[in-house]
Amino acid sequence: MSSPETIRQRFAEIAEKAGTEKAAAAGRTVPKIHIGMATCGIASGALETKAAFEEAVAAQGLEAEIHPVGCIGHCYAEPWVIIDYPESGFPPIFYHEVTPGKAKMLTKLFLAEGDPRFEHVYGATVENEMIPSVTEFPRFNKEKRLVMEKCGKIDPERIEEYIAEGGYGGFAQALEGSPDAVIDTIEDARLRGRGGAGFPTGRKWRLAREAQGEEKVVICNADEGDPGAYMDRTLLESNPHQALEGLAICAYAVGAQKAVFYVRAEYPLAVKIITQAIEQAKEAGLLGEKILGSDFSLEVEVFQGSGAFVCGEETALIRSMEGHRGMPIHRPPYPSEKGLGGKPTVINNVKTLATVPPIIEKGADWFKSIGTENSPGTAIFSVVGDVNHPGLVEIPTGVTLRSLIFEVCGGIAKKKKFKAVQIGGPSGGCLPEEFLDTPIDFDSLIQAGAMMGSGGMVVMDEDTCVADVSRFFLDFTQKESCGKCTFCRIGTHHLLEILERITEGEGKEGDAEQLELLSREIVKGSLCGLGRTAPNPVLTSLQYFKEDYDAHIHEKRCPGMMCRPLIAFYIDLEKCARGCDACVGVCPVDAVFTTRTRKKGIDQELCVKCGECVVACPPEYDAVKKVSPPHLAPVIERPPETRTESKKESS
Amino acid sequence: MDETIQAQEAAILEDIGEQLKDYDQNRGSLIPILQMIQQRHQYLPPDSIRKVAEHMEIPSSEVYGVATFYNQFRFHPPGKNPIKVCLGTACHVRAADVILENFERKLGIKEGQTSDDREFSLERVACVGCCALAPVAVVGETIHGHMAPSKVEGLLMRIQIHKEMAEREKEKEKNEQS
Amino acid sequence: MAIITVDGLSIETEPGRNLLSVCLENDIYIPHLCFMEWLDPPHASCRLCYVEVEGKAGPVPSCTVSVASGMAVKTDTVEVRSLQRTALKFFLSAHKVECKVCPANRQCPLQEMAKFLKVPLKSKDLNPRLKEKDLEALQPCFEYYPNRCVLCGKCLHTCERVKGQSLLTFAGRGIDMTVSFYGGLPNEEISCEECAECAAVCPVKAILLVTG
Repeated sequence: MSSPETIRQRFAEIAEKAGTEKAAAAGRTVPKIHIGMATCGIASGALETKAAFEEAVAAQGLEAEIHPVGCIGHCYAEPWVIIDYPESGFPPIFYHEVTPGKAKMLTKLFLAEGDPRFEHVYGATVENEMIPSVTEFPRFNKEKRLVMEKCGKIDPERIEEYIAEGGYGGFAQALEGSPDAVIDTIEDARLRGRGGAGFPTGRKWRLAREAQGEEKVVICNADEGDPGAYMDRTLLESNPHQALEGLAICAYAVGAQKAVFYVRAEYPLAVKIITQAIEQAKEAGLLGEKILGSDFSLEVEVFQGSGAFVCGEETALIRSMEGHRGMPIHRPPYPSEKGLGGKPTVINNVKTLATVPPIIEKGADWFKSIGTENSPGTAIFSVVGDVNHPGLVEIPTGVTLRSLIFEVCGGIAKKKKFKAVQIGGPSGGCLPEEFLDTPIDFDSLIQAGAMMGSGGMVVMDEDTCVADVSRFFLDFTQKESCGKCTFCRIGTHHLLEILERITEGEGKEGDAEQLELLSREIVKGSLCGLGRTAPNPVLTSLQYFKEDYDAHIHEKRCPGMMCRPLIAFYIDLEKCARGCDACVGVCPVDAVFTTRTRKKGIDQELCVKCGECVVACPPEYDAVKKVSPPHLAPVIERPPETRTESKKESS
Repeated sequence: MDETIQAQEAAILEDIGEQLKDYDQNRGSLIPILQMIQQRHQYLPPDSIRKVAEHMEIPSSEVYGVATFYNQFRFHPPGKNPIKVCLGTACHVRAADVILENFERKLGIKEGQTSDDREFSLERVACVGCCALAPVAVVGETIHGHMAPSKVEGLLMRIQIHKEMAEREKEKEKNEQS
Repeated sequence: MAIITVDGLSIETEPGRNLLSVCLENDIYIPHLCFMEWLDPPHASCRLCYVEVEGKAGPVPSCTVSVASGMAVKTDTVEVRSLQRTALKFFLSAHKVECKVCPANRQCPLQEMAKFLKVPLKSKDLNPRLKEKDLEALQPCFEYYPNRCVLCGKCLHTCERVKGQSLLTFAGRGIDMTVSFYGGLPNEEISCEECAECAAVCPVKAILLVTG
C-alpha cells in the first residue's frame, strides 16, 4: 500500500543522493566555467569557445571544470560564460560574447594569474563589493523567473542537477496528496494556459478527470510553430525536467497512464535532450511503474511533429499523432472528452506545464502573489527585432510593454524611434505607441487587439513597414493553412494577394476597405483558431497604421522604406568621396558604377535594393540615400564604358 | 547518371524494407515511419510510399496524403550542400528575402529546388531560433548568423574550395597508392 | 419529441437530430456543400450552412448543431447571409466558371446558391485563383478536374464508407490542396469501375468515370 510516508521517504533518498553530489561539487575549489550551449549558443560559436577553454586550460596545465548548461535567454550576449573561481577572491562573473580568443585570454589571465580583466566583465552574478552585479541591470532585476529559473544554471543532460535544485519535489508532494487536491491547487492558483488562448488549466484538468474512460492521455505540446518564437525549444533544451515534472503531475491529476511529449522534429537537440530526460527519470524511479512506491504508474514517450503550424490546434495535433493529415475537426466534442484514440486527453503547452511544479511546491497563494489578479504568474516572450537586447524574457504579468521594451530589452537599437510592436506572432496584432502602457496579461492584450499567443514579440522601429509585416504574416498563415475550410483556404489567399499588391505599389482604390471586410468575415467564418486569428495582423495594422496603407496605395510610397518596389537608393554626389570604392565591391549585382568625376552612381535598372552599399559607405561620408517613392532618386547617367557584361565567371 | 540514381533508389528501398520490420501496423506509426525514412535517406522516394502502404496495409494514397501535408517531408533528394535561409520574423525584418534572392541568383536555382549536379539545394525555413543573429542561413549543419547579400558569394566560394581541396586530396591518395 | 422554431416556423422533430437535415426536410433551404447526413463528426468545411441559434454568440454552421427542444433558429439574418455570400465568392474565385461546357451545368449547387444568394458567378472584386492543371487523369479510371473541385470531401468519405478505407485522399495543403488517387488500387474486391460512387457523389462533376 502506498502511503505519503513511503513516497516522502523514497523521494528523500533520491534528493539526498543528488544533494550530496552537489555539495561535493561545491566543495571542490577548482574554477568552474559554465557555458551556454543551447542551439542559439552553438550557433553563435559556443562549441568553439568551449574547445578554446579546454585547450587553453590543458595548455596552461590548469585544473578547471567546464560545465555545459542551457540557455539563459540573453541572446544578445551569446556566447556567454560564467566563471566561478572562488579562490581568486572574486564572485562568479558573467562574460558576454566570449570568442575563442577571449576564452584563451581569460584562461591565461584570470584562471592562471587571477586577473578577471575588468574591461571584459559584464557583471557579477551575485551582489558584492568588488564588481557591479548584473542584478543592477533591468534585464536581470525586472525579470521574474519561474519557468526559466533553472535554465542556464544546470546541465540539462543530468537529472541530478535538476533534483539538487529542488526538482521533482512538487511531483513527490503531489503524489502524497489526492489528484483532486492537485487540481484544486491549480484551479485556486488561477493558472491559465500559456499556449496562447489562456484557458484555465485547472478547469481543463477537471474536465478530463471527470470524463468517462478507463484510459486517459496527457500531452505536452512543444510543437512551436510561430516563425519568431523559440522559447519552447529553449526550455526543453535548457531544463527538460521541469516540463516533464509538470506533465507527470498533470497525468496524476487527471488519472492518465500515458503521457506524450509532442516536439517538433526540426528541433533535433530538444528531441535528444527530452528523450534522454525521460530515460533518466525512469531510471531514477520518477516515471514507470508504481512511482515512488505509490499506486501511480506513468509511461512517457516522445512524438516528433512533422512541421505544420495548424497542429497547434488541439484536434489537428491529435489527428497527426494518429497518423493522419493534421486537419482540425469541429469541436465539440473537446479532446478532454474524446481525444487521442477516443480517450479523454489533456493537451498543455510546455510553459504551462513547467509552471505547475513550483505552484504545487509553493502553493497557490504564492503564485497568485506574482503578476496580475486575472492572469497571475509570468509571461515569456521571445523579443526580437530592433531592440538592443533581444532574447527570451520572463516577466511577471502586469509589466507594461514600455517597461519590457525600454527597460528589460534595452530600448530601440541605433537610437531610432519606436514605431510598433507585434505581439503573438501570426495570430497576434500590431500595436502602436499609444498602447505602450498596456499591462501584459491575457485580457489587456486581447482588449488592445493583440494576444499573448505564442509569445513572439517583434519590436519595430521607424524604418519598418507595418503593411509589409502584415504581408509577411499572411504569407506564413496562407502557406500553413491546412486547406480544409473555405474561409482559411481561399480567404487568406485573397488577403495575401491584396497585401502583395499594396506592398508592390500596385494597390488600388478600395483595397484597404476590401482587406478589412474580408478579414472580418474570415475571423467569423473559419473552422479553427488558425483561420479565425489569421487576419489579426491585418486588422490591427489597418486600425492603427491606416496612414501607412494609404501612403502605399495612393502615393506609391512606403513610409518605412522597406517595400523594395517602392524605394530607390542613390548616391549623394555632394557627399560621395572621390576614389572611395567601398560600395562597389559589396554590390551583389554590379549596379554601382564610377561616374566620370570618379564618384559613384547606382544603376537603377540593375539595383536589387539590398542596401549593402548603405552599410558599406563609411559613416563619415554617409553618401548612400534611400527614398520613396523611387522616382525621387536623382538620375545619374551611367557611362557606357562602365557597363560590363555581368561578371565573368571563372569557369 | 540515371542508372546510378536507380541503383541508389533500389538500395534505399531495400534499407527501408529492413527497417520497417521494427514498426507495427498501428496507424499511429505512419508519421514515425516516414520520419525514419527521411532521416536515413533525406527524402521519400516515390516507391517508398508504396512500400510503406504495403507494410501498413493501407492505400498508397493515404500515405501520400499524409506525406504531402507536413513541411518536413521532401520528395526529391536534397543537394550535397543543403542551404536553408531563415525567413522567420526577425530575419524577415532584417531583409532575409534579399539574402534568399541572392542565393537564388548565384546558384541559378529557385527556393525548393536542387541544382542539376545535386551539389546545392535551396530552401526557406520558418525559424531556426537564432533570432538575435538575424538574418541567418544554414549550410549543412552550420548556422551562419548576421548574413549579408555580399557574404553569399564568399560562402559559396568557400564550399567550392573545400570541395576542390577534398577532390585534390583524393587524387593525391590515389596517386600515392598506385 | 422536440419542438424548435426556425424563422418563426414551429417544427416538431426528434431531439438530437442534425439541424441542417431537419431544416432541409422541412423545405427551409440553407446553402450547403459538404454535408453528408451519415458522417459523424460532420466535415463542416464548406462553411456555408451558417444559421443563428438563440443563445449562441454569432452564426454557427447548422450541420454541427444537434436539435434540442425550444431551440430558436434564424436562417436569414444579415450576418448569416453575408458569411454565406463571402464563402460562395471564395468558392467561385477558385473555380473555373465555364458553366456552358461543364457537365454539372444546371444541376450545380454553386449555380443554385449563386442564384439564391444573388452572387454573380464571376466576381468583380476577387481575382480568380486557379490551379495549374485543368485536368488530371487519375488512376485507375477517373478524370479529375482540380479547377472544378470544391474540396468538399464527399468523394473521400463515400469511398471510405463503401470500401472501408478511402482510396482517395486530400493531397498537399492550403490553396494548393487537391484530391488525389495516388498509387492506384491495392487488391480490391470491388473495382472502381463498378463502384464509381465517388464520381456519383461529386456535386460539381470534378471526378468523372472514363468509360471504354
